[in-house]
Amino acid sequence: MPVLPARATPGRLMIDDHAIGQLRADFAAALAAVRTDRDLQALRDRYLGRRGGTVTALYSQIAAAPPDERRRIGQLANELKTWVEDALAERQKAIADLRTAADAIDVTLPGRPRAIGHRHPLTVVRERIESIFAHWGYEILDGPETEDDYHNFEALNMPPEHPARDMQDTLYLAEPLTRRLWSAGASPEASGPATLLRTHTSAMQIRYMESHRPPVRIIAPGRVYRRDSIDVTHTPMFTQIEGLVVGDGVTMADLKGTLTAFLRELFAADARVLFRPSFFPYTEPSAEVLIGCVTCGGAGCQVCKRTGWLEILGCGMVHPAVFEAVGYDAERHTGFAFGVGIERVAMLKYGVDDIRLFYENDMRFLEQFPA
Amino acid sequence: MRVPVSWLAEFTEVAATPAEIGDALTRCGFELASIETVPDQGDGPGDTVLDFEITANRPDCLSIRGMAREVALAFRQPFEPRARRRLTPSPNPISLPVTIEAPALCPRYTAALADVRVGPSPPWLAARLHAAGIRAINNVVDVTNYVLVELGHPIHAFDLHQLEGPELRIRQALAGESITTLDGQLRTLTEGMLVIADRSRPQAVAGVMGGLASEVTLSTRTIAIESAYFAPAAVRRTSKRLELSTEASYRFERGADIEAPLVALARVCELLEEIGAGQVTPGFVDVYPTVRGENRVPLRASRVAQLLGQDVPAPEIERILRALGFALVTEPEASTVAWRVAVPSWRGDVTREIDLIEEIARHHGLDRLPVTFPPLTVSPARLDVRLERDAVVRRVAASTGFTECVTFTFIERSAAEPFADASELVAIANPLSETFAVLRPSLIPGLVESVAHNRRRERKDVRLFETGSRFTRTSGESRAIALAWLGSATGLHWSGTDRPADFYDMSGIVEQLGRALGVGVRLEPASSPAMRDGHAALIHASHARGSALVGLVGQLREDLAAAHGVPPAEHLFVAEIDLDAMAALVDLGEHVEVVPLPRHPSVVRDLSLVVPAGLPAATLRATMLANAPETLVNLVEFARYQGKGVPEGHVSLSFRLTFRSPDRTLTDTEVHRAAEAIVAALAAEHGARLR
Repeated sequence: MPVLPARATPGRLMIDDHAIGQLRADFAAALAAVRTDRDLQALRDRYLGRRGGTVTALYSQIAAAPPDERRRIGQLANELKTWVEDALAERQKAIADLRTAADAIDVTLPGRPRAIGHRHPLTVVRERIESIFAHWGYEILDGPETEDDYHNFEALNMPPEHPARDMQDTLYLAEPLTRRLWSAGASPEASGPATLLRTHTSAMQIRYMESHRPPVRIIAPGRVYRRDSIDVTHTPMFTQIEGLVVGDGVTMADLKGTLTAFLRELFAADARVLFRPSFFPYTEPSAEVLIGCVTCGGAGCQVCKRTGWLEILGCGMVHPAVFEAVGYDAERHTGFAFGVGIERVAMLKYGVDDIRLFYENDMRFLEQFPA
Repeated sequence: MRVPVSWLAEFTEVAATPAEIGDALTRCGFELASIETVPDQGDGPGDTVLDFEITANRPDCLSIRGMAREVALAFRQPFEPRARRRLTPSPNPISLPVTIEAPALCPRYTAALADVRVGPSPPWLAARLHAAGIRAINNVVDVTNYVLVELGHPIHAFDLHQLEGPELRIRQALAGESITTLDGQLRTLTEGMLVIADRSRPQAVAGVMGGLASEVTLSTRTIAIESAYFAPAAVRRTSKRLELSTEASYRFERGADIEAPLVALARVCELLEEIGAGQVTPGFVDVYPTVRGENRVPLRASRVAQLLGQDVPAPEIERILRALGFALVTEPEASTVAWRVAVPSWRGDVTREIDLIEEIARHHGLDRLPVTFPPLTVSPARLDVRLERDAVVRRVAASTGFTECVTFTFIERSAAEPFADASELVAIANPLSETFAVLRPSLIPGLVESVAHNRRRERKDVRLFETGSRFTRTSGESRAIALAWLGSATGLHWSGTDRPADFYDMSGIVEQLGRALGVGVRLEPASSPAMRDGHAALIHASHARGSALVGLVGQLREDLAAAHGVPPAEHLFVAEIDLDAMAALVDLGEHVEVVPLPRHPSVVRDLSLVVPAGLPAATLRATMLANAPETLVNLVEFARYQGKGVPEGHVSLSFRLTFRSPDRTLTDTEVHRAAEAIVAALAAEHGARLR
């Protein structure tokens, strides 16, 4: 560690121009020898380091100097420090220039584009819902979009001429369609001919219960069809997820708990959830589930028609007639079912005000969703 | 159902505000649609009208009386309909013979006669109807409508002198019969439709609409008042077939009250005289061949708790059901609390215990039920491998730059035809329009439309895919993925590497999907009405377990693309893969058996061949594989050249062959010999020679 050449008078510290000149010369020589960033840092530490740096040490002498000397020493120290810093900075730039290779590339130009596609918002929502229920041990099922009257209506407690059929205006096939259906196995099996496009995924309740004994815990996502003209809230095709839980002692309280937890997972941990009596032929008691408006938080706005609530799904306890249709013991087994419209969820979650956007496939819309 | 509050007040004490009533009823299953203030026609104070949605199971609430019963219970007020006049039987039957010829469709028919002075209704009555959303016509018709709204029971009045006989026959329409209904429409009737006829012709479509011929007009002097019960299915069928839905048909098809006809008839008579519209002839007709007994349903308190997850105290159950008109008798024999419940005639929707439990849940309050979770009692099933497969396919498509679409399952017939024989198309019987006439036999038409949608919006580079079901008569319903690629292959870049996408970009994606699903992909030239000639291939997938034809890849025929608005100079590439056809081959890691890593070096040989230009690379490849030793572990085309140095009609194709043995280091000599054998075979079979 170089020591300041100070003329030592007992009790008095002297820093003269000669000493400073010597110090500058020593520093300049050392600086000229520096070739790398590392050496430069070492030199910086030696002169400007917080502890034991040569220039830094000057400042510690100020306090020890006689009062009439302090101002002069301080000025000298400042000048010196600025000079050292400037020299170091200049040298650092020179080192950087030295390092630049002749074949250097412009790393700031854009990289080669690697295209990434985006998932459709209906898929994003569907996969989110599927993962919630998969975590709770639900089996996820895939079912046919063409159905017969029995599975779509009759077994769901909607015999011919039932007025509830009006709630779901049906698209029929011109001729029955024979198709093979995938059940749990690895190969499809022949099934009775389809005569219509399913109006709801509830048909999957029947198909599953026909081939499985309780307990049941399933969700079945898929496209459904109604003879609705296209407008901002209607399309003749849309997407639903059906849920069904059957077992010993499954109650309406369990239905409330499950759907409350589901909606809080899907929307917000503090979402308000309301159950209101409703009517579906295949559940009883039936309910409509509402959540506190996601737009206004319940204060009332256009989205919730100033009610503060949004209808989000229909549900209820499985009607005993449905159990009877599939050969379950309606006395012993109880269960609940629910159906969620995926478009509805996506519209509320993402603030989409026109359902047609989901089917136009405009990339300016689709690219707003995650890859 | 529009409910004027003043009308409600005739049945129960209304202390709550309209908003409170709306809220309370919404909580018991009658969703409030709106609250509206209607000014009185004259100087009166006006009225508040609550409009409720009534679910299909509650025709009894399509009436002021029904709604008042619910309001009374919700606010714990007595439900007390005003005392009404009852019809007294007359010793002389009225002079109107009534015959029910179809008792299954019309189980009950009642009627009375009145001499009337047709004119305008008094203002209070017109105002009530107006508030309820019904136009006033004349005092007689208005009275029938008033009773319809108040009691929910449809009434019809005939001009007696227009009825031939006069007599009424309730019968099925005869083939060829027709009727001009009150709306002026001439309607052709078919067998199975129920009509009210006089001696010779239909005078009303039963439960739907009256006929114009016997309409009550200003010149009507005597009326026959009909108050009947028609079978719901019969009315619904007729209403559907005539495409005619009325206030009456809406109620009858949901189920009217079989005990209501006489009550409603009495109320009509009372009102006619009260407003001075006429004088009722003493006596009435009531044809009711098979009297319906009271319906009794058992109810257990334990079952209520089992369904709702909460004990509802017996007094609470009794309070709710009694207020709704049910009569409860405790079952003394039962070991737990149980009742026999007599169902009132207006509640045709209540036929079993669960229906009663719903009534209890509605008025006990769903918000009072606890919040619990169903126990998981068995191990959850594993994920359906087909769903897993679809998810993999979607991820691969997205990661290669394709954005996911959802298009309609039904498309125009002309858009479908290039993709399937007309005989294969699955048509919709009642499509919304010709745009939605058939179920798609392929996902490609929908994708092309989406590509074009984006292209028309100045988007030049479009990569889209969709997964979904397709429909043909032979294959039924099958799951597929389709992809479409328009524009740039790599995207605009300063290095100038960008170029338009071509067939091999698309076939490369198909091969990549195959790798992701663990199957090999082989292409073979194909021709298809949808594809540009010479630019399409069939996709074969193969795996140790077998192989299958799974799809088509190529350039869409230019005129098909152009028809959607894709500029003719731009090439649109598409591919479609049948995921179900591949199902048996797909391996998502279930059957992997690891082979040891190679311990010996490989030897590489490049062969540049000159071959006839029309010879498919796959043919050369097959010959090479057939004539190669087992040590040939990889074979890849790496250069293709046509031009100077290669004879006309020929092409130079270069292959890189990699040889390796699992148990020793190959010698130069044996690799050389293997390569020579391959070249000899190529020369013999295809006239190929080394360049």
